Amino acid sequence: MTAAQRPLAGRVALVTGAGQGIGRAIAERLAHDGATVAVNDIEHDARVDSVVAATGGVAAPADVSDREAVFAQVDDLARTVGPVDVLVLNHAYMTMGALVDHDLDDWWRVVDTNLGGAFHLIQAVLPGMLRARFGRIVIVSSEWGVTGWPQATAYAASKAGLISLTKTLGRELAPQGVIVNAVAPGVIDSPQLEVDARAAGVTREHIVAEYAQGIPMRRVGRPDEIAATVALLADPRVAAFVGQVLQVNGGSTRSRA
Amino acid sequence: MSTGSVPDAEPRPRVAIVTGAASGIGAAVAAELTSRGWRVAGFDLRPSEWDASTVVDVADAPAVQDAVAGVVRELGPVDAVVSAAGHYAMADFGDITPAEWNAMLRVHLGGLVNLVRAVLPQMTEQGHGSIVAVTSELAIGGGDRDAHYAAAKGAIIGLVRSLAAEVADTGVRVNAVAPGPTDTPLIGADSPWRDPDYLATIPLRRLVAPEEVARTVTYLVEEATFMTGEILSPNAGAVI
Repeated sequence: MTAAQRPLAGRVALVTGAGQGIGRAIAERLAHDGATVAVNDIEHDARVDSVVAATGGVAAPADVSDREAVFAQVDDLARTVGPVDVLVLNHAYMTMGALVDHDLDDWWRVVDTNLGGAFHLIQAVLPGMLRARFGRIVIVSSEWGVTGWPQATAYAASKAGLISLTKTLGRELAPQGVIVNAVAPGVIDSPQLEVDARAAGVTREHIVAEYAQGIPMRRVGRPDEIAATVALLADPRVAAFVGQVLQVNGGSTRSRA
Repeated sequence: MSTGSVPDAEPRPRVAIVTGAASGIGAAVAAELTSRGWRVAGFDLRPSEWDASTVVDVADAPAVQDAVAGVVRELGPVDAVVSAAGHYAMADFGDITPAEWNAMLRVHLGGLVNLVRAVLPQMTEQGHGSIVAVTSELAIGGGDRDAHYAAAKGAIIGLVRSLAAEVADTGVRVNAVAPGPTDTPLIGADSPWRDPDYLATIPLRRLVAPEEVARTVTYLVEEATFMTGEILSPNAGAVI
């Protein structure tokens, strides 16, 4: 494979929530593009080991909402494989419910994991990126962060917050060589669909078919289709995307995010 | 993706038409697709150096129809089209002549419409295809003395989003790229877009490179298989 096909050769990429679904696909794609991948998830379990084996990377477990654990993990990585060049924030916690019924502690757990976790991780990796005057940060937001969704106030607020964080840090950090962008996936065939199905009280197959009906392309997306978009935004040869939100959703939104 | 019923047949090279292929963004796109194994037909007012070269005015609908038919004969069915032909001018709104207004609309919007009308029936019949329009950050954010250019480029966005919805279930995807000021002959040596005082105001502090736009187009035609009706903005942070 030529250098052009391995644009991330010699780079370290930390992918959060990489034990399954979209995160796993991103880890595999970035490894394919040449990166040493640090595979993060909340527990160091067999799923993480499986992704480490598939990518030739390293395990980097931590609860992203635990600031001390995040900083310790990023320090460990710097010592073992080198400072993080590419950070992909793919972790997510999601529960649904009517706003007035949503348990308040759980509501904040959604926001503090998805948005707060991004805050901790970016602060942890940023000194190294600024020293190197190089970095790529790709934030996985959500179609629901663009459009909103009934009974998903915490999740949508956290994902919309990530979009504003992307735009602001894009402006703030691009002059120093750190490029920040976001991907907003629509409905993707991933374990998160189980959450939606449970909330709706239907089977996974039922909710996949129902979502497909509402998508112009008449299907749901695949994790590797999100991973390809992340690969574009992680590509060191491309810096011209700054603070942008790339929507991958089969044509559902067709809007500026 | 399966393109034929003959078992073990060699996959044929993918075919793309790129308008404006003799220079700037169009040439960078044609070069990148060529390097990735595509067969590229270049449409331009001047000859271009790709697998096939057609001298054609994209604003001339019958000429574009003929040119597309020629590509299908010479290279085979078309898998992707990239509409990059265009020109740029700045003018106070009151000074824009009807001829200048028409030229902007006929070349940018008309160039896309003519190309799509010529290739879409074949694409929907074969059940796949990728259409990429090059628009501009000025279509999103506007700019002073850019009314006719921004109107033409903005119209492209409306067309792209509508056509994307209309053909989404046929396997044909329609997207656009909206670059920021890009280092091409479209902006002259003394253009205000090259002024260091302007560049200091945008987050990336430099012009977009044509190769960055080409990489974006390559992503759209090869890998963005769940993306349609989307406008991608490699614009150096000019519009966020």
